[in-house]
Order: sequence, then C-alpha cells, then structure tokens
Amino acid sequence: MSERVSWVPEGVDTGKPSAARLYDYLLGGGHNFAADRALAEKFLQAQPNARTIARLNRSFLRRAVLFMVDRGIRQFLDLGSGIPTVGNVHEIAQKADPESRVVYVDFEEVAVAHSRLILEHDPNATVIQEDMTKPGAVLQATRHSGLLDFSQPIGVLTAGVFHFVPPQADPNAIVATYRDAVPAGSYLAVSQFTQDLQPEEMAGVVEVMKKSQNPMYPRTKSEIEGLFDGFELVEPGIVPTPLWRPEGANTDDPDKAGIYAAVGRKV
Amino acid sequence: MHALTSTAYIPLSHAEIKQALLDSLRELPGSPESVANRLVSLHATGPDSLRATIEVLSPAFELPVLARLSSAYAQAMRLDAFDQQEQIKVAIVRAKQRVERTLQVSQARFQEVFDSAALGIVITDLTGRCVEANDTLAEIVGLGSGADLTDRDLRDFYHPDDLAALGASYRKVSEGHVDRFRDQRKLIRADGEPVWVHLVVSVLRDADGRPTHHVTMVDDMSELHLLQRSLDHQLLHDSLTGLSNRQHFISQVERQLDGKPITLYHLGLDAFSVVNNGLGHETGDKLLKIVANRLGELAAEKKAVLARIGGDEFALMTVSDNVTSTIEEIQAALGEPTFVDDHGIALSVSIGVVDRPPAFATAGELMRCANAALRQAKARGKRQWALHDPHDDARRRGKYALAASMPGAWEHGEIEIVYAPVHDLESQEVLGAVARLHWDDLSHNDTMALADSTGLSLPIGRWLLQEACAQAARWAAEFGDGAPTLHIALGALQSRDEDLVADVKRALDETGFPPERLRIALDISSVLAGDDNALVLHDSGIVTALDGFRGGHDELAVLTEVPVRSVITRAPAPSPDSPLYQAMRALIETVHSLGVRFGVDEVHTLEDAEHWRRAGADGVIGLMPALGAAEVTELLKAASRPPGAS
Repeated sequence: MSERVSWVPEGVDTGKPSAARLYDYLLGGGHNFAADRALAEKFLQAQPNARTIARLNRSFLRRAVLFMVDRGIRQFLDLGSGIPTVGNVHEIAQKADPESRVVYVDFEEVAVAHSRLILEHDPNATVIQEDMTKPGAVLQATRHSGLLDFSQPIGVLTAGVFHFVPPQADPNAIVATYRDAVPAGSYLAVSQFTQDLQPEEMAGVVEVMKKSQNPMYPRTKSEIEGLFDGFELVEPGIVPTPLWRPEGANTDDPDKAGIYAAVGRKV
Repeated sequence: MHALTSTAYIPLSHAEIKQALLDSLRELPGSPESVANRLVSLHATGPDSLRATIEVLSPAFELPVLARLSSAYAQAMRLDAFDQQEQIKVAIVRAKQRVERTLQVSQARFQEVFDSAALGIVITDLTGRCVEANDTLAEIVGLGSGADLTDRDLRDFYHPDDLAALGASYRKVSEGHVDRFRDQRKLIRADGEPVWVHLVVSVLRDADGRPTHHVTMVDDMSELHLLQRSLDHQLLHDSLTGLSNRQHFISQVERQLDGKPITLYHLGLDAFSVVNNGLGHETGDKLLKIVANRLGELAAEKKAVLARIGGDEFALMTVSDNVTSTIEEIQAALGEPTFVDDHGIALSVSIGVVDRPPAFATAGELMRCANAALRQAKARGKRQWALHDPHDDARRRGKYALAASMPGAWEHGEIEIVYAPVHDLESQEVLGAVARLHWDDLSHNDTMALADSTGLSLPIGRWLLQEACAQAARWAAEFGDGAPTLHIALGALQSRDEDLVADVKRALDETGFPPERLRIALDISSVLAGDDNALVLHDSGIVTALDGFRGGHDELAVLTEVPVRSVITRAPAPSPDSPLYQAMRALIETVHSLGVRFGVDEVHTLEDAEHWRRAGADGVIGLMPALGAAEVTELLKAASRPPGAS
C-alpha cells in the first residue's frame, strides 16, 4: 500500500486510495496510484463487472448531458465531478454548443487541482473546491464564480455521487436545497449504486469500501425516487444505466449494471 | 464495433465511433501505427480492447500488420500512461503549491497578527520553554523584544504562589479536558514589578492530534488599570496638591472602619486667609503645596492616609495610633520655617481629633465630629488641638437639628407667644407680663439664640413685637389700668437692628398700644457695642431695660451713659450664707445708685425670690409659668371682678 511512485511529489499521501482515482482506474485511466489500484482489485473481486458498471455510468452521464443540451440547457453544475477523465461534461456540452458553461464541484484536493489544470484555458468552465453535501457553501461559491445564471435553467449532475452520501447527511434535503436554488425547467441527473440489481455483489462492494475513505451507501429505487421530490422524472424513469435512453441497440445486460440512473425536470 | 465499445468507454456517438473505425480500416494496411494511435486517442484502451481488435481483424489481415499494430498500440498506451501520470503529477504539484501558498499566506497572516497584536502572545513547549514570543509580551514583562524570551521558562514570570494552580490549568488544556482556560493573574516583570494580566491559554496539536505546544495570550490589564486609575484619580484627587479629595478620603475611611481602630485628624491651617489675602492666592497655593508635601512625607512614614478636604483643611487617617505623638509630629513637620516667594511664613495648624471611634459610626459622622473638634480647637487659639467629645457633640447636634427645623416650625405656627408675669419683690404684685417665644420645651432665650443662628431672629422678633403689642392693646382696651405693662426682651441681633426703632413705632401705631406701657429689654451686648437704639427708644418715650447684665465694669459704665429703667440678670440666687451674697448686694446697691432697677430672670422658687429680695433686687421673672394669651385674659377677667379683686 505504501509503495512510493517515484514521480509523486513529496507530501502527497499515495497510500490512501480515493474513490475518484478508483473510478479513473476502472475507466482505464492512468491518473491513479498503487493504493487505488489495489482497492480496485478488491472491488473487482466483489463485483467482477465493475469496469462495465463504470463505463455504463460514464456513458449515462454523456447521454444525460446531451439530453439536457437537447432540451435547451446550456449551463451545468457537476456535483462530485471527481478526477477529469474521459468524456468530461464540458467537453460533451461544448462539443454540442461551445457556449455551454460548466461548474465542477469536488472536495478532493488532487481532483480539484487536476480539474484546474485541464480547465485553465477554458473561460466557460471552472472548478470549485467544496463539499457537495454542503449545498449552501457550494451555491455561494458557484454564484461567486459568476459562470452560471441562476435565473436560467441549470442542469444539475450527480453521477455516481449520492452513493457516497450517508443517510444521516439527509440526501433528500441536500437535493432540495439545490432544487430550490435553480429555476423551474432545470434538470437533475442522478446515478447511484443499488442493491436491487445484484444484491450479493453489492454487499461485497459495500464491505470492500467500508474500509476506504469513501464508504458506499447503495439505495433502492424508491429511495432514489425520494431524491426527485419536486422534479418530474423524464422517460424512462429510474432504470439501470444501459436502459436510460440508450443510443442504438443495447448489448449490455441491465441486470449487471449495478447503478440506477434517472433524470428529472423541476416543475 | 460493439466488440470494442464493450471493452472501454469511448465518449463518442455510435456514428462517430463507426466512422473512426471505418477510417482506421482503410489506413491499416499502409500505416498500422496511425491506427494504433487513433485507437488509443479514442480511448479504446480497456484491458481487452487490443484482444477484441485483433480478433476482429485477424481473419482479414496478415500477422506482420497486426504485429506492427500491437507494438504501436503498446507504445501509444505507454505514452498515454506517461501523459496521464505527468498530468496528475503536475496537478499534485499544483495542489501542493496551492496548499503551500495558502499556508504561506496564512503564515504571513499569523506572523502579522503575532507581531502587531496588542496582546502578548507566546508559544511554549509542554515544559513551559518559550519557543516564540512577540514583542508585545516582551514589553509587558519588561524585556526588549520577543526574541529575548526565546528559550526562557515562561513560568519564571509567574508569581510563585500561582505556579501550582497555573500548572494544573496548563495540564488540563494539554490533556484535552478543556479547549482553553482564561485566568487573571499577576506576572512578575523582569524588574520585579508585578503586572496584572488576563491569560488565555490553548494548545497546539500535531497532525496526529498529540499536544505539542501551548499558546498563551497575555492581555496587559495594568494599562487599563492605569487609565482607570487616572480617571479615578481625577475624580478623587485634589488638582492642586494631588492629594486625595474629601470624597476619596471618606471612602478610604469607610473601607478601614471594619478593620483596626483608626484615628482621624482634621487639620486647619492657622491664619491661612491672612496669607491668601496678604500675599496673594498664588503664594497661598504654593504654601498649600508645601504643606501637602510635608504632610505627605509624614503620612508615607506612618502609612497614614492623607487628603485635602477643604481650602486650607487637610485630613489624616492613621491606624492604631498614639494621638499626642502624632500631633507633635504634625506640628514638627509644619513647624520648619517655610519660605514662599521670599516670604518667610510660619506655619501651624489647629487639629480636631476623633480617636478610635466605635465601629458603627459612619465615615460621614466621623468627618463631622472631627470638624466639630477642629472648631473647638480653633476657638482656643492657634496651634491647638481638641479631642472630639461625644457628649458635647450630641448637645450641639440637637441644637443644630432644632435650628434647622425652626423655619418650618414658625411657618406652621408651632412657635407661640406666651406671657410670663413679672413680680415686684417688695409688693409681691404683678408688674407686667413678659412676652416670650415658646417652642417645644425650649426657653425663650434658647429659642432666640437659635433664631439668631438661623437668621430668623429679625423676622421672628418683629412678629413677636407686633403680635404682643396687638394682644397687650386688646388687654388695655378691655381691662384699662388692670391690664399688664408689656415687657419684650429682644435677641442680640434685633437689639442692634437699625430698623428697630421704626419697627417699634410701627407696632405701636398699628396696634394703638400706649407707648408708656411698653418696656423693651435690649440685649446688653448691643449697648456695649455702642449701639444707640436704647437712647433713641428712650427719646421716643419708651422705657428700656438691658438684658443679660453680669455686673461687669463696662456694663456699669454704660448705665451711667444710657438712660435705662432697669437691668435684667440671670444668676444663681445669692443665699445669705454664701460669700457671694455681700458682693451681689453691693452690686445691686451700685445699680440702684445709678437710678436703675434690678431684675432677675429665671427665678423659679419662692425661696430664691426671697434671697433676691434680701439682696436688694426689685423684680423677678419665672415664679409662675408663662401662659398663653387666652389664659392671661381669663386671669385678668377674674382679677377685675370686684369680689375676687386683691
């Protein structure tokens, strides 16, 4: 675990795995350390389908962003954005409309620094270092960035985030605060691990992650429904990631997708 | 295509992926390397991506092409991994730089706060050794700079008595029982002087939460104290001499009352007004400063409290003191010749002393008692002192209290006029009635003396004159010759009053009372002082007497010059076996020889009256109690009836 990679600057603790770098590794990225990869191996033992789950989740994010762009959304708030990896929100959105604006929010020092590095020449995207479970601070910093217009609809993205938010943090109330801050016509995208699909594997994953800095809290479909209070779910509702508005014919087994995905529109 | 997209996430639409793969197929035979690069840049980099690709391509393409593709793919992956790792390295370096910058900024902020704080701040290790201290703290403890404190033991600056308690408090903080503690303690400066401070102590911990250092913040209370004291000083001190003022002195006396027995000295400079008036106020002020200095030295020596409590009056409070030796010390301190602006001035003081008063006495009472004693001492002359006599004081106090209530009493009709008969000792007949003031159980003379001390004697005297004449006029109208002559004894002030004659004439005019029936007794002091009221009254046809006769030569001399009918005296009755008897008899003979009758006031018994008769006196007052006007009227009515007439 404490194996040191020679190029890592002194003072950065590579011995502590992070969920963001674990996700990067599962997606085939190189922004990770031995500790992250060691955790990934355990993760893969519990859930051999983890790479696919990660890919499908990332793919859902892309489709959700494109869906929102299609519905006229040009500004995005990506909560818990993590390490920039393949297919970042601003790349997707700006490919559709270069004027699209994106605010990334993450709390982890390296993820934020990395995001800054990538975004430093992009005037329409920025990253703020805040804890997405503290919506007051996030919203204040977001307004302060001046990038998003809160009188216009905003696409709020929480891809693979809420399963790191414990029940005692009251996820419904967190979402409600974001919901109240954005105008009607805004959208909320959620993807989150569930025990509804592969209960055994999910239990194994929870066990593995329990020992990490980022324990996981899978939720049932009805629990996820609770997050959409005040939103109208768009078709097809809450479904395994590959079933959410797939592009072309679907070849992935929804029962092994691990993650539910949904998008709602604020009414 | 599906074979590939299931191995890795490619963030493109299916159409775009399809197009990219078709392009790759066309390029593959000529340049497998560019196809490999394209695959990697598309992010077809899953663990199975290459296998899936080769499986799809192997039936159609030769092994050398596939080998070049594989080799180039591996190289591109390698470079891609390097790129990503380079990227995260840069990110981490930036993150670290950012943290360091934030740290530097916060460190700079801390340093600024540390250096410029009005609070003394010191960081000590857990043994109490100073690691870093700011200049403010150094100033508080009397050192040059914060660096002077480095490596010194902070406990050196705590009072030895506080060490145990403070040590326990510091431990509580480092052991995490409390986050911080606050305290008010005395530090000992480098020069040994104490300084009052507020302390706030908290703990610094390392990354693992272990306590490593204490932070002690020190607020110099003494500056506040000084400011407060300076304000208090202005309120409580005399600006000329810098001594405590009266108010401050009283509060200090109050504080001491419950403790050891105290002695108060009230000092009045003798003849200070002479200095002030003769040499000027500036000289007077300088003299007062000199007195203050000399008394101040004495007070410091005796650990006494000194104050300037009046223009030329000082007060000294000592504890468990010997009065006579202190008085000697005071006079000795002031007795040295004093030269002010080339004027040699002899100084002495009169002193009133209150020694070991009872604990229940209030400071205000004690100050008043000391003042009363000073007045007594002054009455005796210069350089005198008097001890406060509680009994004497009670008498005076009663009198002053009465005087204070007199105006109200008069206004409310509580002061009455009564009439006392004047008896002829030879015929035993009533010669007339003396109109007198009656208030409570006070005699006329006491009442008049009180009236004199309050400034009421003139209005009261006029009122007495007017009312008594009116009453006597009614009696004269009703009873004719049976009505008594009216005797009125005036107070000292009224006897001397310029308007007296006019007042008397007005009273007679307004009441119609015949002047020949009025007898005015003037206070003898007015005549002695050369006042001519007696002469003018005599010339106006009014019979006069002199009250307060004592038989002195000056008084006898006056009798030869001023035409008076009689003198009135108050003295113990001369019993025939007393050695005074002959002297009194001779005196009365002398008075008679001048054509003046001799009357005696306050003769209350027939025996005394008989003694006076034998000594030669003519009339007495006091044999019968004084009566109200209505009672006198009744008596007069009874006397005028033929059957009861005597």
